[in-house]
Amino acid sequence: MTYTVPLGPYHPALEEPYKVSVQCGGDTVQTVSVEVGYSFRGIELLAQRTGWVQAVTLLERVCGICSHVHATTFCRAIETVAAIEVPARAVYIRTILCELERMHSHLLWAGLATEYIGFQSLFMEVSNLREGVMDLLESISGNRVHYGMNRIGGVNRDITDTGPIVTQLDAMGEIVKRDVVPALMESRTAMTRMRGVGALTPAQAVEWGVVGPIARASAIATDVRSDLPYLAYSELGFKMVTQPAGDVLARVSVRVLELLESIRLACEALERLPSGPLRAFEGMPNIPPGEATAFTEAPRGEVIYYVASDGGDTPARVHVRTPSFVNIPALEAMTMGQQFGDVALIQASVDPCLSCTDR
Amino acid sequence: MTDTATLAAVFPSASIDNRRDGVWITAIDLDVEAMAREMTRLGFRLSTMTGLAQADGETAVVYHFVIAGHPVHIKTFTHAATLPSITPLVLAASWIEREIHDFFGVQFAGHPNLAPLLRPAELREGFFRDAAEVPLQLTRSQTEQPS
Repeated sequence: MTYTVPLGPYHPALEEPYKVSVQCGGDTVQTVSVEVGYSFRGIELLAQRTGWVQAVTLLERVCGICSHVHATTFCRAIETVAAIEVPARAVYIRTILCELERMHSHLLWAGLATEYIGFQSLFMEVSNLREGVMDLLESISGNRVHYGMNRIGGVNRDITDTGPIVTQLDAMGEIVKRDVVPALMESRTAMTRMRGVGALTPAQAVEWGVVGPIARASAIATDVRSDLPYLAYSELGFKMVTQPAGDVLARVSVRVLELLESIRLACEALERLPSGPLRAFEGMPNIPPGEATAFTEAPRGEVIYYVASDGGDTPARVHVRTPSFVNIPALEAMTMGQQFGDVALIQASVDPCLSCTDR
Repeated sequence: MTDTATLAAVFPSASIDNRRDGVWITAIDLDVEAMAREMTRLGFRLSTMTGLAQADGETAVVYHFVIAGHPVHIKTFTHAATLPSITPLVLAASWIEREIHDFFGVQFAGHPNLAPLLRPAELREGFFRDAAEVPLQLTRSQTEQPS
């Protein structure tokens, strides 16, 4: 018997509103269709009616998790148009925030994943770690979510006392190694629930054009931090994490191992934080006519901004392509032929961000 | 296989510009299906496409490709608000063509399902273009035509 089950747009299995219509034959998924657009805010259009400085604040609100990445990518595109050289200290501070944000995002996702597989004790441990990262972000920026660190040509705030941050990150790294890695990558609970579920082959990953941890979990070695090194990544010696299996367990493993790499990168950047100014200029920027793109590796994968200026007070065009925009459609390939009961877990393994996708 | 000389051979009538953010290729009359086939053959991944409203009512469409850290941006223009769809050749183009259709009213001929992706039901196709000239609320209904 064939039947169709709608998951969403509002459903306990979904963190944000979107609709996954699943057609099943018995308990096996036959086809899947995804609908988005329930959170459309028209941010690109709003940015084109907002002054350059205010637009940085606006675009930071594309996402409530990877907010710093959006402001950073937007600023980098503008700085390319206007040929602005960002001071080294600001570059490092942006990098540190990017990696702390990645930790915050991966830990939030790991918390959700552990809840989905019924691993409540690990959920509490991971949530506690995430709270520690958010405390660090608050101590640096004054904010827990939208940090307001970026400005065109640099950053707004300095990091003055790096030692305690490094100590805390080291302690978190030990907890990740001691508790999170074995629990999510080696425990019987994790293996039984996630191994072989929702696999995306390398060929499918290329066909659907997926990015970030989804691609790397399918053995596709792609990461903007190494492909197109930006900020301080070429100086910090970024090491990419890949997994061969392409299943939910592989996506979990990539993110867990990336936590350790993010801690290493953040500590390294803090220890090597150069001296010097925080911004290239004071006052309002003068953005000449031109167009440019900027690529950044957000926690969920490659983010691209296209920014055009006609020399006026507002951007002439801003286009944002977020990683979830290309990762979510691949759900179709991941869920086909799977058990219906696994669909909620498979969609969660994509870490879909609808706020980003819809903008 | 991705240097400027290779791309110049692939796009003989296009202008090619090396910039800080990659290679920019502009071709007014571009066979986008042949382009998509060739870029796929060379191993490029389609990252996204950007729509840019033009004063004459047409839309510039920029195809952003990447290979091993080398971005290539290929800009072309619609004719009578239409471009051939590359979705049958590059699956990853499906959602972005639907988005550009929503925002700028571009018809991607041959797209298997050009249904609204992000466009709220009360807004019409190409509402980004309308909103550039008149307040957004005037585009909210088919009966309220912009002046």
